[in-house]
Formats: sequence, C-alpha cells, structure tokens
Amino acid sequence: MASSAFERGRRRSLATSVAIYLGVLVFAIWILLPVWYLVVSSLITPSQLGVKPFPLVPSSVTLDNYAAVLFGNTGGKGIGSTDMGTRLVPTIGQSLLVSSILVVLNLCIAGAAAYGLSRYPFRGARVFELSVIATRIVPAIAIIGPFFVAFRVIGVLNTPWALVISYNVFTLPLAIMILKNYFDQLPREIEEAAKIDGATRLQTLWIIIVPIARPGLVAAGVLIFLEAWSEFFYALVLTNQLTVPPLLAGFQSVQQFNWNALAAATVMSMLPPTVLVLIFQRHVVGALTAGVGK
Amino acid sequence: MAGAADLLGPKADRAFGLKLVAPAMIILIVLLALPTLLTLVYSLHDVPASGSSFGPFVGLENFTIIFSSPVFWRSAQVTLTFSVGFVILSTVIGLAMAMLLNQRFIGRGLARALLIIPWATPWLVIGILWKWFADGSVGGLNAVLMMLGLTSDYHPFLSDPNTALPITVLAAVWRQASFAGILLLAGLQTLPEELNEAAQLDGANWWQRFSNITLPWLRPVLITVTVFNVIYAFLQFDVVFAMTQGGPGDTTQVLSILIYRQLFVNTNIGLGSALAVILGVVALIGGLTIVRLFYRREMH
Repeated sequence: MASSAFERGRRRSLATSVAIYLGVLVFAIWILLPVWYLVVSSLITPSQLGVKPFPLVPSSVTLDNYAAVLFGNTGGKGIGSTDMGTRLVPTIGQSLLVSSILVVLNLCIAGAAAYGLSRYPFRGARVFELSVIATRIVPAIAIIGPFFVAFRVIGVLNTPWALVISYNVFTLPLAIMILKNYFDQLPREIEEAAKIDGATRLQTLWIIIVPIARPGLVAAGVLIFLEAWSEFFYALVLTNQLTVPPLLAGFQSVQQFNWNALAAATVMSMLPPTVLVLIFQRHVVGALTAGVGK
Repeated sequence: MAGAADLLGPKADRAFGLKLVAPAMIILIVLLALPTLLTLVYSLHDVPASGSSFGPFVGLENFTIIFSSPVFWRSAQVTLTFSVGFVILSTVIGLAMAMLLNQRFIGRGLARALLIIPWATPWLVIGILWKWFADGSVGGLNAVLMMLGLTSDYHPFLSDPNTALPITVLAAVWRQASFAGILLLAGLQTLPEELNEAAQLDGANWWQRFSNITLPWLRPVLITVTVFNVIYAFLQFDVVFAMTQGGPGDTTQVLSILIYRQLFVNTNIGLGSALAVILGVVALIGGLTIVRLFYRREMH
C-alpha cells in the first residue's frame, strides 16, 4: 500500500507534496491538540496543572485521577467532598442500559417500518417517509415541556424510562431513514425466489432479510447508541443526572472539583462511542452517506 | 406521476406494509406530533408553573411580550451570529479536510480515523473539553499561544465578552466540521478520477478544476451538509451550556438557552413554549432557504 502511494505520488510536483504534508500537519494539530490537552490533563497532578505554560509534554504522569473517578480513591489529592468517585461507574451503567434498550427497540420498530416502506409501499407511505425526514427539524428543546408535564403525571421522571421513551423522538426517525436507504439498495431477487418457493412475507423477512441486512442493522444500531449516549438536554431536564452527560455537567459546577479528575471522567465518557465508531467505521460512514442528496 | 397508484403492489401487500409501519407511526404520532401540538397550545396560554392545566387562553400575548422584549432580540442576534459563523466555518473547514484526506499521502488511513473522533464525541463533552482548553488559568490554548510567542500572559477567553462567542463557535465547529468532512469525503471518493485527469490534460489549473468539476459534483452532499449545519446551529444547546451558560452577561445567550431559562428557571411554560415555537419556525425557514438557494442556482 505504502509503496504504491509513493509511486503514484511521484507524479506530483515536490511543491504539491510539501503542501499536502503541511496540510496534514495542520489537520492533525486541529484534531489532536484539544484531545491531547484533555488526555494530558487527566494524567497529571493539580500542581502540574497550575504551571504556566501548561505542560503539553508532562515530566511525569499518574493514574490517580482515574482511580479517583472510578473507585473513589481520593487519597487526599484535593478532589474535595464530592461523591463523584462513587457515582461515575453506576452512571456509566445507566447510560449503557438506556442506550442498549433503545438500540434493540428501535432496530425492531424502525427495521419493520423501513422494510415496509421499501418493499410494500401503501397509500400515504411517501407522505409518512417525508414527515419522518421533516422531524429532524423539530427542535427537541421545543417539545420538552409536554414531556416534562406528562412524565410527572405518570411518575416516570428520573427513571431510565423517561429517557427510553423520549429519545425515540430523534433515534426512531434516524433509524428509519438509514434502514430505508439500506433496504432500498438490497437486491430484490432473493425475496422473489423465496416467494416462488412459497415462503410467507413474514418468513421472508425473518429468515432471509434479517441475516442479509446485518451490516445495515449494525450501522443503524451504532448510530442510535451514539445519539442515546451523547444526549444531554432531555437527561438534564427529565432526570437527576441519570446518565453520563448531565453527571459531567454537574461535576463541572461543583466548586471543589478539579479539572484533572473531570478530565479523567471525560476521557471515560468518550471511550465507548469512539471505540464503537472506530470498530464499525466502514459500516457507519456508509450508512451515513447512503441517503445523501436524495 | 399519474400512475403513482400503479407502483403500489396488490392489496394484501399494501396491508402488510401498513402493518409493518404502524408501530413506528403510532410512536411518532404520540411522541412527536402530540407534544408539538401541545407546545403550540401552551404558547397561546398563560400556563401555571405547575403545568397541571393550560391556564387562561391569552391569544398571541406571549408572542407580543417576546417581540417587544430587548432580551429576545439580543438573544436572536447572538443566535444569528453564532449560526452564521458555525455554518460557514463547519462547511468550509469540512470541505478543506475532505479534499486533503482525498489526496494520497502516507498515513491517510490513520488521518481518516482521526477525522471521526470529534464527530463521535458527545456535544456536551466537546463543550466541557473546550471550556477548559480555553481556560484563563490552566488552558491549553493559552499555553500554545504563549509558546508561539503570540501572547505574553494567559487570557480568560470565556469571561471576556469579546472572545466568549467566537470560542464557543470554534468549539462547536470542531465537532461539526468533522461531520461535514466525513460526508464530503465520501462524496469526493465517488468522483471519477478521469474527469480531473482529462481536465488537467486540457490545461485546466487547480482552481478551474475545483470550481468546474469538484464543487458541482459535491452539490447534493453540500446541500445536505449545509442543511444539517443550519439546523444544528439554531438548535445548539449543549456546547454553550457547558462553556458559558449564556454568559458573560448575555453575550452567548442563544435562543435555546433562553428557552431553557424560561421553561425551567423562571418556570414560565407559556412564554417558553412561544419561544420554542419561534425557534422551530426559524430553524425550518433556515433549512428550507438553504435548499431553495442551492436549487435556484442550479437552474441557472
């Protein structure tokens, strides 16, 4: 790979190559500098943090901040009296719970809907599809009032259910759009063959479509997970720091809480979505771009 | 489109399709259509803080109050400034990154993986990260400026009314430019290389190839990206909330922050709902304008 890149690159002038590598350098700094700052902050002590200028290459590193946010080992390191050490891990668990339930629910409901829209269009199917796309413009913040009131009445405020229910507002349309695009590009021949062999519509869907649609389902699943994991506003208003984002926001407003420990908690919160996306990079980017321009 | 009905299958197939879609349809009506309608109704009432009833009908009074309030107009101006900066920078930086990562160079695979990181990071985390990165006593941005010799001392970017808004825009752009870059790169990868090579043989320079081949090819992706950017701009809450909560003063108080304050700090549900209706309509108009703008140019 590298050698072919070299050979092809030879057709470029030296000036072009220099410009490209300079561009890559600027690009790497743009992406990595804030991330590097975060990671270094999570690995140094508060006294190292106080040095001006900030030690971009620290002389020594420590895992104390991670111990503090994961196990509550404050060890007199100035974390203060917050209960963050005991709260981050259970909160990560709650975030995982909410996100996973949503992924499973949405894949079933949106999968069925997308398949129906793609293969068995009915009167009004197109209108429904367009309304699903239009929902992306409805500001989530604009409709939180009714949710707040309704959830208080039925008593699900501050439970995972408040989020599992309300997150459908953005995850379900997203999943339907992505899976509809995916089903549209799957060949129909196999289904027609199954039909001739006497399979019912439901059998065809379960036995034939679900297995071959796995890449699309994985991509949609990752994107639903990402939205649910990242969501902040509904979790802030409808729960008392039930998931990671509002917990991090809460830590930030605690006076005694220092940036080193918050940085460690922030790194922890970035890991699941980043790892997931990097693993399924190809699927996710494919799904994201499949419907573009339609 | 006279034969649209012919595209539909037999009756049993249509019924099966409707059955498959029904659960999603019901959920979206209950969770989206109904709350949207309720918000509209709230906006016309003087809703009590408990939210247990609609309260007295006041017609358009909530809107009259909002439109005569300088706080609203100040916030609308901040939202507009934020949005214009956010949309232009996200799209332009995204396009630049996509064009760069479409070139051949050593380490390209790794660079493309890097492009994904800001997009995979939650908006709130981006706000927290940039709040501290731009911090006036322990921030990394100040450290870099100092090491480059551009400043002699740390500057509190987020408590300075002149720099708070640009820094929040930059933080949000850091994420959204990656999203734009991912989509535009995928668009560039479908561009047939022969087009550019033929143009090069005909003596077209870089700019001519960019404006006559690359940009027209990317038009559909650019429309999608820009519409997304406009919507994210108007609805941005997380980044501003984490970085400044609207301050210093009201210099970064975008409309979504104002709505949050009205609904949950002042518990004025009627007024907050009216603001939400205004924001929704503005986001809708913004998105549609972009689509119209692009398509009209295409016709010429």
